[in-house]
Amino acid sequence: MLAGAPAQAADLEAGRRLAEPCARCHGADGNTTLPGTPSLAGQPAWFTHWALIKFRDGRRKDPLMSPFAANLSDADMAGLAAYYAALPPRPRPQAVDAAKAAAGQRLAVSNQCTSCHRGDLSGQHQVPRLAGQDIEYLRRMLRAYKEGTAGDLEGLMTIAAQPLTETDIESLAYYLASLTPAP
Amino acid sequence: MRRATLRPLAAAVGVTLALASLAEAQQAPPAWKQGQPAELANSPLSPVPLPPTPTPANQIPLDRVKLPPGFKISVWADGLHNARQMARGDKGTLFVGTRVAGNVYAVVDRGGRREVKVIAKGLSQPSGVAFRDGALFVAEIPRLLKYENIEAHLDSPPAPKVVYEYPKDAHHNWRFLLWGPDGKLYFNMGAPCNICMPPDTHANISRINPDGTGFEYFARGVRNGTGADFHPVTKELYFVSHGRDWMGDDIPNDTLHHAPRPGLHFGYPYCHQGDIVDPDFGGGHSCSEFAPPLLKLGPHVAPIGTRFYTGNLFPPQYRNRLFIAQKGSWNRSERIGYRVMTVELKPGQPPKYEVFADGFHEGDKVLGRPTHIEWMPDGSMLVSDDYHGAIYHITYAR
Repeated sequence: MLAGAPAQAADLEAGRRLAEPCARCHGADGNTTLPGTPSLAGQPAWFTHWALIKFRDGRRKDPLMSPFAANLSDADMAGLAAYYAALPPRPRPQAVDAAKAAAGQRLAVSNQCTSCHRGDLSGQHQVPRLAGQDIEYLRRMLRAYKEGTAGDLEGLMTIAAQPLTETDIESLAYYLASLTPAP
Repeated sequence: MRRATLRPLAAAVGVTLALASLAEAQQAPPAWKQGQPAELANSPLSPVPLPPTPTPANQIPLDRVKLPPGFKISVWADGLHNARQMARGDKGTLFVGTRVAGNVYAVVDRGGRREVKVIAKGLSQPSGVAFRDGALFVAEIPRLLKYENIEAHLDSPPAPKVVYEYPKDAHHNWRFLLWGPDGKLYFNMGAPCNICMPPDTHANISRINPDGTGFEYFARGVRNGTGADFHPVTKELYFVSHGRDWMGDDIPNDTLHHAPRPGLHFGYPYCHQGDIVDPDFGGGHSCSEFAPPLLKLGPHVAPIGTRFYTGNLFPPQYRNRLFIAQKGSWNRSERIGYRVMTVELKPGQPPKYEVFADGFHEGDKVLGRPTHIEWMPDGSMLVSDDYHGAIYHITYAR
């Protein structure tokens, strides 16, 4: 209901206009090949909205995103989030080490990643889509959760990331990046 | 902890497998799934997600809320994302904590219109707020903060002083703050898990001097003590606690406890609701070793705001009655809670437990989540809703 309701055409149009400066890094259709930069197409709207809130209030810091989010209103964020949620995610061409990806798959099972991120790792509510995401971004975020600098909402990922070794993080990033994003 | 389940493996990853197995054996499930038995592994139950924006007042379905005759409910303020505990300043400002929103709000009443200011942002679940001598105390997970002379600086709050540093574990460590009759500040330090052997520093209610000295544990064996108050007459502590999850729809109950003196142990993780020995941690223990609950509040109802009524506006039978806001269940097939209850405590009589405000869910649909309680100077009631990010006003007229 309410915040979860399907986006209205006017919101999507407002979001599209606000997203014009985002295209250079995140891609014209929300899918990018720029290493280290996440694709936003098909991300759950609540996830993108929460990410912008965290950049606005300083819980997450980034030289490009922090100033961009600083002056966005809640309505702006809702429009951007709805716009990107409606775009179809596409696979990113990236070299994936099959052995590491296999190890990462086992870690994803043992950590029960799918219990929040869904079986196809497409995300839901405030929980991000991981399937087919940029490998460097995945690596960076897992490290940030472990270090406590990711602006974790409830602390769930901070807890989950504590036992991960650098090898585990590498494996998980390869596995998640190797998945074809479901629509 | 459950062993990790390994999938069949490709032959190419033999060496990696051996290394990975070591790491996997240490993995835990997400915090909300911890303690889930294998037979419930496919349970569809999960916590209610929080929308990223508060709900505008005109979209909150308060018309569904049922109250006793003569009481009325309305939206007092909206736009307070994830609103939790409230505390009133000397000059009438209402301070409001939040959890994942990370904000602390100040609400200034401008003759019927409420102005909402963000006075702190980006904090780590700053749920607890308390006010004394011009200063606002804010309990976030890792720190107890103090904003001095805050009501003179609502538009440009000074950097807070760090009064105390808490353990950093996030789970069940969003806090309430409560002034004791001893002038000390009381707060909860929950178990950092659903069910586990908590470290000595957790699963308690504790107290501290307002300058951060003199830390003491007050009550032990408290899994998730989310709300408390001192009885207006006896000055003794009453508090609520959330029972563990994943034991089924109907056990254990969440509980109301009475702690007339420091040092009592209330059972966690060995015993739940006074009469259920924990299947994993209760071995060798009996519930008779622990202080029993005063009242079973219902399974998974999620009691939070816990306040005695001392005002004169409500009918006389409500005086000194305990009000308990129940945010409502997630770990149960059918929703329960989503209401405000009262408990009448009379010497020598069993507690009388009654519905006050009901109707914050409709079947599986969440209509609102009553969270914390504060009293207005005229004796009317404020209830925060951390789902809609609003504060409701409950008044009475004969």
